[in-house]
Amino acid sequence: MSKPTPLLPESDAREAALFFVVAALCFLAVLATLTARGTYTAAHAWSAQVEGEMTVRLKDTDRRGAEDAASIVRGLDGIRSSSVLSQEELNRLLAPSFGPGGIPAGVPMPILIAVETTQDAPAEAGVVTAALTDAGFNATAESHADYASEVQRALGTLRIAAIGIVVLLTATAIAVIAFATHAALLARRDIVDVLHLAGAEDRFIASLFERRFWTLGLKAGSAGSLVALAVTAMIVFSAQSAGTQSQLLPQLSLDFWDLVILAVTPVGAGLAARWAAGGTVNHSLKSVL
Amino acid sequence: MNRFRPDTADEPAVELNGVSLRYDTADDVLSDIDLRLKPGTFTFLTGASGAGKSSLLKLLYLAHAPTQGEVHLFGLRTSALSRKQLSALRRRIGVVFQDFRLLDHLTAFENVSLPLRVSGQKPGTYREEVVDLLRWVGLGERMHALPQSLSGGEQQRLSIARALINKPDLLIADEPTGNVDPEMGKRIFRLFVELNRRLGTTIIIATHDLSLIREFDAPVMRLQHGLLVRDVEHQSA
Repeated sequence: MSKPTPLLPESDAREAALFFVVAALCFLAVLATLTARGTYTAAHAWSAQVEGEMTVRLKDTDRRGAEDAASIVRGLDGIRSSSVLSQEELNRLLAPSFGPGGIPAGVPMPILIAVETTQDAPAEAGVVTAALTDAGFNATAESHADYASEVQRALGTLRIAAIGIVVLLTATAIAVIAFATHAALLARRDIVDVLHLAGAEDRFIASLFERRFWTLGLKAGSAGSLVALAVTAMIVFSAQSAGTQSQLLPQLSLDFWDLVILAVTPVGAGLAARWAAGGTVNHSLKSVL
Repeated sequence: MNRFRPDTADEPAVELNGVSLRYDTADDVLSDIDLRLKPGTFTFLTGASGAGKSSLLKLLYLAHAPTQGEVHLFGLRTSALSRKQLSALRRRIGVVFQDFRLLDHLTAFENVSLPLRVSGQKPGTYREEVVDLLRWVGLGERMHALPQSLSGGEQQRLSIARALINKPDLLIADEPTGNVDPEMGKRIFRLFVELNRRLGTTIIIATHDLSLIREFDAPVMRLQHGLLVRDVEHQSA
């Protein structure tokens, strides 16, 4: 026996338009979530790295004196390592400002000591400066954590904005689906009336619309998710292939949580569509006997 | 008060007490209707266009609630029923709509089996029954056809088959011969009479066709400007 024809007719142009809208909203939601997560992950990694670092600037001394200063710093409590930056390291560090040709001759540059502190009870910049000053060096130590805190603050704002965008997009998707369901219900009022008068319970009629919109939401959400993944990959790959310093750019890292976002978005879209459809149909049916 | 009581014995299949109906802003479409129909009666409903026939039928097949008064079906006060109970009650009523209300995307077979499908029955359990009924109404060869490929008369018979598939206790037909030739009209009426006699189904038929009313000689209710009156001329003895 052949499969019975669905009681609701196959999808029409209105549903194609709704599919596009839901897919676009899911695309934006996933893109916002992946971008926010990528940015946060990159910034978190960067913060964790720089929070355990400080730089010592030495003036009025030569390379030998700098090595002595580095040795003094190494001897302090809360210091894991300290080393004088070589000319190559300095050139690499300042390449974004001076280009690949390195620092031009004649530009006065301080000697820099890169210091890594321990994770437990790290030494403070003031203690390092004081120790070197006591030893007769013209030195200033600066903790990188000072810069990181400003970045963290900016990232916190970015994170809240990203969550807000995702919530707004979700609410918009639900409202659009509810509106579309209502339109579909009006367009198929004849079918609903016949089912209703044939003795179909509200639950039965609602389930027809719920199934239809669950499938639509799931498919549209999957399409949106996949396109967002492709676009994110394209942005990151193009940034990497252009040789851009992308430590703070969103990273495409298909780890567990990225996969969860990609998998949950279509399910969420499907559930939102189903919920909106069910609510709309039930509300509409309650208005008739 | 305007009263019409074709029969007063036993628990009535249909009972309306002081029923009025008004749509939104207009005047009453039906006014203070009292009506009792015994189970197994065959009754015609007639009246001029706009007299309120379709509105009265809508109250009976539970498409609308009255503005005033009470509708009782099979002893149940409909205003006291839950939505679930109303759905169950609708399954005891077969309706032949004037405009058929067939679902265009379903085949003839699927349209007829619709009331069984919505009540949760599986296709395997009712296939034979639906095929038999389609043969009975002369559509045995058209069961896989879509409604738009059927003639007006075939659609009418399909609509009747859908109303009958549940073996309803109450059959309501709104101008069931409006789209068929006189011969087919008589055939359809004979089908209703047979159903009424064989299964004891209570039947209410709204029609303009006075020749059929005369030929089938059943009690007649007449609506005039929303009031229910007895049509003595065609009332059986």
